[in-house]
Formats: sequence, C-alpha cells, structure tokens
Amino acid sequence: MTTSNLPLTGIRVLELSEIWAGPYCGCLLGDMGAEVIKVESIQRIARGPLNPPEGAAQYPDAHPSDEPWNRFAIFNATNRNKKGLTLDLKTANGREAFKKLAAVSDIILCNYARSVMENFQLSYEEIHEINPAIIYMLMPGYGSTGPYKDYRSMGMAVDAVSGHTFQRGYPELEQSSNSVVHHPDAVAAINGTFALTTALIQRENTGKGQLIDLSQAESFMTHMGNMYLEEQINESGIKRKGNRNTEYAPQGVYKCLGDDKWISMSILTDQQWNLLAELIDPNLVNNEKYDNKTKRLDNHDELDIIIANWTSKLDNYDVMNQLQAIGIPAGAVLNCGPDTYDDPHLNAREFFQIIEDPNTGIYPLSGPVIRFQNSSDEIIHNPAPSLGEHNEYILKDILGYSDIEIKEMEELEIIGTTPLLGSDMGGSRRLESEK
Amino acid sequence: MPYDILNKYTVLDLSNRLAGSFCAKLLSQYGCRVIKVEPPEGDPERSQNTPMFLHLNTGKESLSLDLKKPNGKEILKKLVNSADILIETFKPDYMKSIGLSYDDLCEINPSLIMTSITPFGQSGPNKDFDYTELTIFSMSGGMHREGLPENYPIRYAAEASQHYAGNTAAAAITSALFKKITRKQGDWIDISIQECFAGHPHQIALRAPFIYSGVSDERMNPRFMLNNGSEPYAVGTFKCKDGFVSFLPLGARMWPLVAKLMEQEDLVTDSRFDTPQKRFDNRHELESLFQKWLNTKTKEEIFKITQNVGLPGAPVLEIKEVFENEQFKYREFFTTLEDDDYGKLKYPGDPFRFVGKEFQNLTNSPKLGAHTREILSTELSISESDIEKLKDSNTI
Repeated sequence: MTTSNLPLTGIRVLELSEIWAGPYCGCLLGDMGAEVIKVESIQRIARGPLNPPEGAAQYPDAHPSDEPWNRFAIFNATNRNKKGLTLDLKTANGREAFKKLAAVSDIILCNYARSVMENFQLSYEEIHEINPAIIYMLMPGYGSTGPYKDYRSMGMAVDAVSGHTFQRGYPELEQSSNSVVHHPDAVAAINGTFALTTALIQRENTGKGQLIDLSQAESFMTHMGNMYLEEQINESGIKRKGNRNTEYAPQGVYKCLGDDKWISMSILTDQQWNLLAELIDPNLVNNEKYDNKTKRLDNHDELDIIIANWTSKLDNYDVMNQLQAIGIPAGAVLNCGPDTYDDPHLNAREFFQIIEDPNTGIYPLSGPVIRFQNSSDEIIHNPAPSLGEHNEYILKDILGYSDIEIKEMEELEIIGTTPLLGSDMGGSRRLESEK
Repeated sequence: MPYDILNKYTVLDLSNRLAGSFCAKLLSQYGCRVIKVEPPEGDPERSQNTPMFLHLNTGKESLSLDLKKPNGKEILKKLVNSADILIETFKPDYMKSIGLSYDDLCEINPSLIMTSITPFGQSGPNKDFDYTELTIFSMSGGMHREGLPENYPIRYAAEASQHYAGNTAAAAITSALFKKITRKQGDWIDISIQECFAGHPHQIALRAPFIYSGVSDERMNPRFMLNNGSEPYAVGTFKCKDGFVSFLPLGARMWPLVAKLMEQEDLVTDSRFDTPQKRFDNRHELESLFQKWLNTKTKEEIFKITQNVGLPGAPVLEIKEVFENEQFKYREFFTTLEDDDYGKLKYPGDPFRFVGKEFQNLTNSPKLGAHTREILSTELSISESDIEKLKDSNTI
C-alpha cells in the first residue's frame, strides 16, 4: 500500500501524444501522483531530429551527443514525471501488449486522430470491451463530431478560428503583424486534466468508464466568454484593445533602463493616478487635463510619453517595487528565460528544482504548479524518461512477460531504445505515406 | 450546457476576482452546486452587469453575506460544515484575519477542499502585490516575446492568465475531490497565477534551451517564429481576399505541400527554391508568390484547401463569424439565454464533453442574494424573525 498523500496516487495513465496538449496533460497527472506511461515507438519519435547539428541550443551545452532524442529540451521540459515505453502498434504483438496494459490501467489519454486509433484497432469501443471502467479521452482540434471532425489542427489554428487571433495584436497595425500563438494547446492540457479527474469521480460513484470528447477549440473558447458577450452587448461590437483597457487609464507597458526591459502598470482610480503623478512630476498632480478617467483615456497617448520618459531612466524591478508599495498594480515584464529564472519571488517559492538526469546532467527545471498543502513535502519532479527506458519494468513487472518474450520483441523491433532511421520525420510524412 | 456528474458536491465561491469566479463556473458546468457568496453590496462587476460578470456567473446561486460581521461568519461556518469545496481569491492572510483560515475551517469540516487563487501564491516576497491581467501576465514570461522586435511587448486579447489559472484550479479541485472521495481527506490548494503561466508548457519548453545552453527566446518577426526561421515565407498571419489566414508550415518537409497548395508544383524543383537555404535567401520572392495566391482566395476556401493538402492553416475569424461557423453550429456549442437588460445572448458551452451523457439547462447569472432566504431558512433552519434581524443589521 502506498502512503503518498498526492491526490492521484494509484491511478495508471497511458499517454499517446506529442508536442503540447497531450504531453502537458500527462505532466499534470504525473505531478499529482498518477503513474503516467508514455507510449512511444522506435518507428516514430517526437524528440527532435536524429542528427541535429552540433551547437543546437535545444541540447545541454549545445551538444546533442550520441543520443540526442534523450537530450532534447522541448521534450524533456514537457514530459517530467512519466515512464517511457516503446511499442510498435502496427504489429499484432505490439497491440496485444497495449491491450494487456489497458486492461490494468485507469486512463487512456490520446492526442492522435481518432482514425489512427481505429486503424490500430484500439478505439474506445475496443478497449471498453476488455476494460469497461476505462476512461478514454480524445482531444481533436474541433471535436469528434461535425464537419471539422477529421480536420488536422494546431494551437495557432484554434487561436485563429476561435476569434482570438483577430482580437490580438497591436491595434494600430493589421493582423498580419500578429505573432503565432499556440496557447489553446495549453488550455486543452489543463481541461484534459480537469476532464479525466472528473471522470475518475464519476467512476468512483457509478463504477463506469467514460469516453471524453475534448474539442481544443471549445476548450479554449470557454476562456473568451466575456469577449463573445461584449461583441453582442456593445453596439459597435468588440474592439482590439492591445495593452489598454477602458477600466484602467493609463494602462500599458513602458520602456525601462536596460536592453529590452519593460514595466507594466494599471491605474484604476484618480487617487492612484495622483500617487503616480507625484513620483513622475509633482506638477502633474491634480492637473485638470488628467484628473479623471475619461480625460486620461482621451489623453492616453500623451500620458504614455510622460510615463515612458520617467521609466526609461529606471530599473523595472525598482519601478515595480516603488509602485506596489503605494498600491499601484505594476509588474516587471519578464522574459521567459533569464528573467523568470532569476525572479526572486519564483525562486523563494522553489518553482525551479534541481533535476539529475543521467541523459543530460544536472539542471534546474521548472516544476509542478499545483500545490497541495497536505502533500507539500512530496513534490515529485522526475526527469523525462529516455526512449523505452521503462520497457522492462512495464512488460515484465506489470504484465508478466518473460525475458525471452521481451528479447523477441526487441529483435522484432516492436520495442527498443534506439529510434529507427527516418523515425524523426513526423506525423505528416507518415500519414502521407500511409494514404 | 452543463452536466450533472458532480451534482453531489457543493462549492462555496467567495471569489472577488476573475480566476476564482471562472473556476467555480467551470465546476458548475459539470454539476457542482455553486453558491456565490457576495458582500451585501454585491460583486463589484455586478452593478454594471458587465459582459465579464455575465460570463463568470452563469449556473450559480447567490447568497449575500457580510463575512466581517460575527453573524455572517457564523453562517459561513455552518455552510462550510456541509460544503465540499471553498474557493477564495483574497490577499493571503485575509481569511485568517477574519477567523476563516484553512485551519479554522478544517476544525468544522476536516475533509473540506479549500482553494486559494492569488497572483503570486500564499508565500514569497511578492505575495501581497496587487495585480491586473496586464501586470500579472507580464510577470509570467509569456508576454515579453509577444509582438514585434522593434515594438513593445503586447498581451493576449483574452484575460489569458487569470482564465488559465482558474481552469488549473478547477483541475486541481477535481483531483483533490477524487482523493476526498477515496481517502476521506481534504486539502488546501495554493494556486499562483504567475506560476501557472510561468509553468505553462510553452514557457517551460522555451525556458529549457536557456537552462541547457543559455539561449533565450525573444520577440521576433512572426515569419521567423519556430523552426529557427525555416520556410519563413509562409509562417504567421497573412492577408487574403476577404480577411486574414494563419499558417504554420512545419519545417522543410512542408515546402512541397505549400507548392501544391498554390497549385505550382513545378516550383518544388525550381532552382531558386530547391533547398531550405535558397528558400530562406529568396523568401521575399516566395512570399510574394504566396501572397499573390492568397489574394485570389477567401479564408474559407483556404481553410478547405489546407486541409486537403495537409498543411496547418486556418481562417482568422472575427468574433461575429465565430457565432456563424458551421462546426460550432453543428455541435451547438453556443447556448442562448434571455437577459433582462440585453435580451437574447449567446454563451459558449462546455470545455469538454462526456459522450452519451445528458446536458442540463444553463441558468442565468443570479440576482444579488436571490437564494439567500432559501439557503438560510431551508438549509440552515434559521427562523424568519432571525433572517429579518440579519437583514436589518446588513449582514445579508
């Protein structure tokens, strides 16, 4: 019996997924104590190229080494707290092993197209027959029904179709200047975790399994309810706002001292404005050009220049601390790499953990984000598995395969730890060749 | 339209900020009974009946209650006794200061799941900082790279970080609820909005190369985003005949597909474009060929063609077009409710579907204190005369 206090202790998850949504969902389940088995194959990997150039930033010390697939930054960052299994699901033996494993698992988390699983004869219906309590989730771009049910999709496509891309970006420029945003993938990962754990509760109460249809578009669009309502309620519809907001004036980001350093701030009340004005230039206090929100909104461009003049000579953390001390919401605009990594607050909370990974060496990596008080001493952060790292544990210890059977599977390339030539060419090429 | 899967469980929603309200709303969509506990003057968003208020509060009941008054506190404690989940978004230590800390509430109900959602979590030097969507998003690592290199960093249009944190909290709560059901244990969940977004898969994946080899991501021309600038002529958002479309070719292997898309497959072997390096060097020429093709097609046509060819491309829909989209219509994603002020309004539906399970009817955001009397008299057996006294003292 386990003594862990983590909420999902004792739950076994089979994850078949690549890139963002599925893998991060698997991470969250693993963070919360589930045993997550990532099912990959040596026939096709999503662990970067087989022969990356020396010096590529994705590898420790920019050195890909002999097994670059076990040292790839994106993969390693988004696959913590999992076990690694390789299985060629195109073979009968591979499928049989998968089914045996499904029979002793609680959850199948799948981010492949429904048709891929049907071709493997591993659809929900087929797994349900051998394990009626199985919880099985598919997460296609637009859901498993309707005219788009077989559409291929990525986060940025969902962002575009949801209406978010059109509302994003600089109000003064057209949308072709917009950056590419895949945020809907991350939202799908979170909602996947919400869905699977809700299904676990249902199973506890009814004994029954569940098929979950998660549309990545719908999942993300629940975050835009206020925008859809604003379009309907405002006579002129919804406008692009950029960093501004009619409730706060001024609000924006302003250049600070240093290379590409910025501060964000929002002024809600006249009192807050006067406090800021006092810091910038006492003559601005109670200046009737800016003494209420309507006037500040009307003169926003002018105020932006005044504020930027002041901030440009200052350190962004200093401005943040100074403004927060007088009750004004402000934040240093942190970049994703060095700035968040050095952020004193994130570090005080031990957001980063030192991880020893035999494939990469010792590095501090971003850790779990959900904190449960009653298991706060058990935060787990195991490195991402190397390809096929847990084949033996899973086949032998969980499924009872003999050493001879395992060896035979290796020889037949059903399992393995070294990717085959061409396995890094990705899904599109493979789908094309299978047509 | 909500499900009834979690209908045995009650949520006390004390939130006064977006992330908590959204979290509670999500739980209501899967059947939880959510009691929105508001101060007697009401949620600040309520007075103007803002789109945000309507969005965040469908499917909830409203109880008006002054938590600072001893009687109000007593009523809340009685509710905690039979509740499963409590969500709050006050500054750290506020609940403690009014005698309603996790430890206080645990004494009443040891299996309570209390969830605190704050900008920076319950500990650390910034824990008492104030925030808006812009300031907290800017501190997450997700904003600095948004926008053009020569321009200022720009936020997402949606209140992304607060929704994302609220959604994360919902997933944490259902996980804790599973533990409560199977092991009879409660918990206190500490959600930091900054951490949720700093731990977002894109942030952790883009931070890892920095930690491994010192290379940091930066704002860049959208054509060069991802894939280190390979195939830059067809990455990002482009104008077409009737609007905009977004594209994301996946490295060198996508080039033949782009040529196929343009119905100019002879370009694949064209000596100007037959290697990734040449396509990079001649990207402006290629982009103008691509643009010329885009100018002849509508975004819907381009969407269909990209799907046939096997490229990730998509139409940039305006919000009003989203309501009319054939996929969302087919799946009846939007639900219409009648609002007293605005008439018929379309609301987005559920983030995921339990196949084969029945939907329930979605209900409008509650009027302030609409359920106060019912909850106090039928559930807490408070007498009519005591309810009147609570009213007179402005406790409810």
